Amino acid sequence: MPELNDITNSFIKDEIDEFIERNDERFHLIEAFSQADPRLQDISAALIDGDNTTVDKLTKEALDVGFEALEIMDNGLIIAMSIVGIKFRENFIFVPEVLACARAMKAGMSHIEPILSASGIKPVGTVIMGTVKGDLHDIGKNLCIMMLRGAGFEVHDLGVDTSEDEFMDAVEEHGAPLLGMSALLTTTMPNMGKTIDTFIDNDMREDVKIMVGGASVTQEFSDDMGADGTAADAVGCVGLAKTLLEELKREQGE
Amino acid sequence: MKKILDIGKRIELVPLDLYFENISIALYSQKDEQGSFYLVHTYSQIPGVGKRINTVINAMKNLGGMEQDNMGRLRFPCKNAHNLAVKRVFLEACKVDPTEKVTKRPLTTLDKKSGLQINLLRSGNGEYQVTAIGESREKERRISFIAGGLMKLGELDEVIGSLDRIFFPCSSNHDEMIGLLLLRAPNVRAILRDQATVAGRGVLAAPSQQDL
Amino acid sequence: MKTERSMTSRERVLAALERAPVDRTPVCNPTSIATVELMDLVNAPFPNANRDPELMARLAATGYTELGFDSIMPVFSIIQESSALGCKIQWEQKDNWPTVKMSEPIWTEADDITIPSNFLTHSDTKCVLEAIRLLKKEYGDEVAIIGKTMGPWSLGYHCFGVEPFLLMSLDDPGKTHLALDRMKEATIEFGIAQIEAGADALTLPDHATGDLVSGEYYKRFLRDLHIELTERLPIPLIMHICGRTVDRMGFIAETGCAAFHYDSKNKPLESMEAVEGKISLVGNINNPETLFARGPEEITKEVFGNLEHGIHMVGPECAIPLQTSIENLKAIPAAVKDWHRSGSI
Repeated sequence: MPELNDITNSFIKDEIDEFIERNDERFHLIEAFSQADPRLQDISAALIDGDNTTVDKLTKEALDVGFEALEIMDNGLIIAMSIVGIKFRENFIFVPEVLACARAMKAGMSHIEPILSASGIKPVGTVIMGTVKGDLHDIGKNLCIMMLRGAGFEVHDLGVDTSEDEFMDAVEEHGAPLLGMSALLTTTMPNMGKTIDTFIDNDMREDVKIMVGGASVTQEFSDDMGADGTAADAVGCVGLAKTLLEELKREQGE
Repeated sequence: MKKILDIGKRIELVPLDLYFENISIALYSQKDEQGSFYLVHTYSQIPGVGKRINTVINAMKNLGGMEQDNMGRLRFPCKNAHNLAVKRVFLEACKVDPTEKVTKRPLTTLDKKSGLQINLLRSGNGEYQVTAIGESREKERRISFIAGGLMKLGELDEVIGSLDRIFFPCSSNHDEMIGLLLLRAPNVRAILRDQATVAGRGVLAAPSQQDL
Repeated sequence: MKTERSMTSRERVLAALERAPVDRTPVCNPTSIATVELMDLVNAPFPNANRDPELMARLAATGYTELGFDSIMPVFSIIQESSALGCKIQWEQKDNWPTVKMSEPIWTEADDITIPSNFLTHSDTKCVLEAIRLLKKEYGDEVAIIGKTMGPWSLGYHCFGVEPFLLMSLDDPGKTHLALDRMKEATIEFGIAQIEAGADALTLPDHATGDLVSGEYYKRFLRDLHIELTERLPIPLIMHICGRTVDRMGFIAETGCAAFHYDSKNKPLESMEAVEGKISLVGNINNPETLFARGPEEITKEVFGNLEHGIHMVGPECAIPLQTSIENLKAIPAAVKDWHRSGSI
């Protein structure tokens, strides 16, 4: 069984030791990092540190010496973002630090994405995300997008003030199985229900799983609106997205 | 200045009416010696607002099978409260184009997920049976699901031992109301989640299925 | 602390801001009381009620005249200063607040910051000043008139964009300090103008919320700046920060602000313990789950929970959802009066 000391990068070792408290998460991370090449661990360490310049440089170098793009993404970038997500969830870091880590992830992905697109490798899933009509707040949505991309999802961000038709058009255009709607204001939350009703009226409801989120969105609200689920935070959003994706695949495979 | 009125408990609100000057229109519930009744009310005093309120009231009568007394109060013929369902009746009544004729919804709908034609058969005394025409592997499950949806939307109860028979606790028929609810019943997500939760209880998940 | 002397609403609020004896706990919302039904009641709908001083005053007054609150706060939204600084505003309809288009920021560097010469004569800031004058003229010393001036951290979000501003705070703390120092002049200028117009107190929203930044961030970037604001604005200041803030309440209590308007994510007891009697607390009835979605019984429970722990003024935790029922809003002062009548104080 792998142990903490099997991880060669001391920064990562310290991060796991200090910030990862749940046994299942520690186990998963120790297992992953103990098997990861030291170069990839260095990329991870730089990402966790929010150092986009170093992530950019090391990702390019890793590609140059022959690492596969997918391997760099999974074992260098995504695994690092999972540590960022946990630290954020547990309030060890806050939004400024997450933004810096997401910027670092983006720097690495700028080299990875073109290669993956060209090779036809598919993302974990495709998600359409947007803040509902009348609402211009997007920090929560953007954090979810960062985490989703950090977990390997392809995300199309519709921005703020998104109408029902814009949501529907995007789901159709991208064949997205997942839709996420965000609202900060209680005045705009009902637009989530309106959007869901529009999907029903246009015979599209069964083709997509719909997540809703925002500071005031509760499970009860989510149920009343007819959504498929809600999560309390950006990390939860990723878990929910994966669960709903599996659910849809099962339903469509029936 | 017009004062705030004590007109019962507000149970639903349309904040911005589509058809008249963006007024807010609310539905209030109260009780008297006859039973429960509802008031459609707005605090707006823009000229012409009374006509708009009357239009909504008339639409509720048609869509929900409700009756209006000479004081403008709306009741179901059974005189009971059906607060969850009446919210849906009110919201739909506010959506109806005032220039169009309002007709009650039929007791049938197409379930797009399965392709089945879902029908409601009235058994009497407020009891309805959910049936389906068509072929689908999912037939029984969809019937049960839609019955569950109607129960949630209309606060109906299930006939014990049955997956397809439901009844209004007031023991009165409400064809108009249940026809309206039938349109939304196939998409009540909470029912699906509850069914999945019950189905998943006691199932051991492999470590590989557990997400970080 | 209780006094037997019967007080006016204004006296009650001002006393509570000093933690002096009151005849009963005041009911106050340092952010807004506005609902679509109240807009209909006095024919003062959004967005016009955010732009026309007469409509603004008329709608704001309903909190006192119809609902029984002890204060009137006419500034419903948080866009006035940012609009006057040059930000683009999405005005929305009656059932929504106007918001700043933060995706179109007006500044990227601290050197971009300027406070225009027409800052106080811009239609949106001028509207607030005129509304305060109208309310003061109408209600004199009966009821506390509370103005609002946005703090520099919130102005940073609006004018730089939330993400760029937060990244700047990490990448270049020095530049961030400089930016805050320059933006605070807008806070002060608008605050002083409202004092001159007749405001009895000012709400100071400055959203360094625990949902976004750490308590240490508040101490590093804002505490000293807020101390300066209390020194330069000669009026009781009610600071408002949404979200989880217990970890920074101790710092906030050191600023010299009269009160802190706190969110339902913080419990009354832990909040009182955090401030150690150095600042009044106002709050913290939950908006989306209680005030909006539940009824008088649940509201009463939350009111009592605040009163039992000695919270100095009771009210909603933030600007109330525009679809909140009048019945629910009236439940707040009713519950406060019930609690006092029961002899619980």
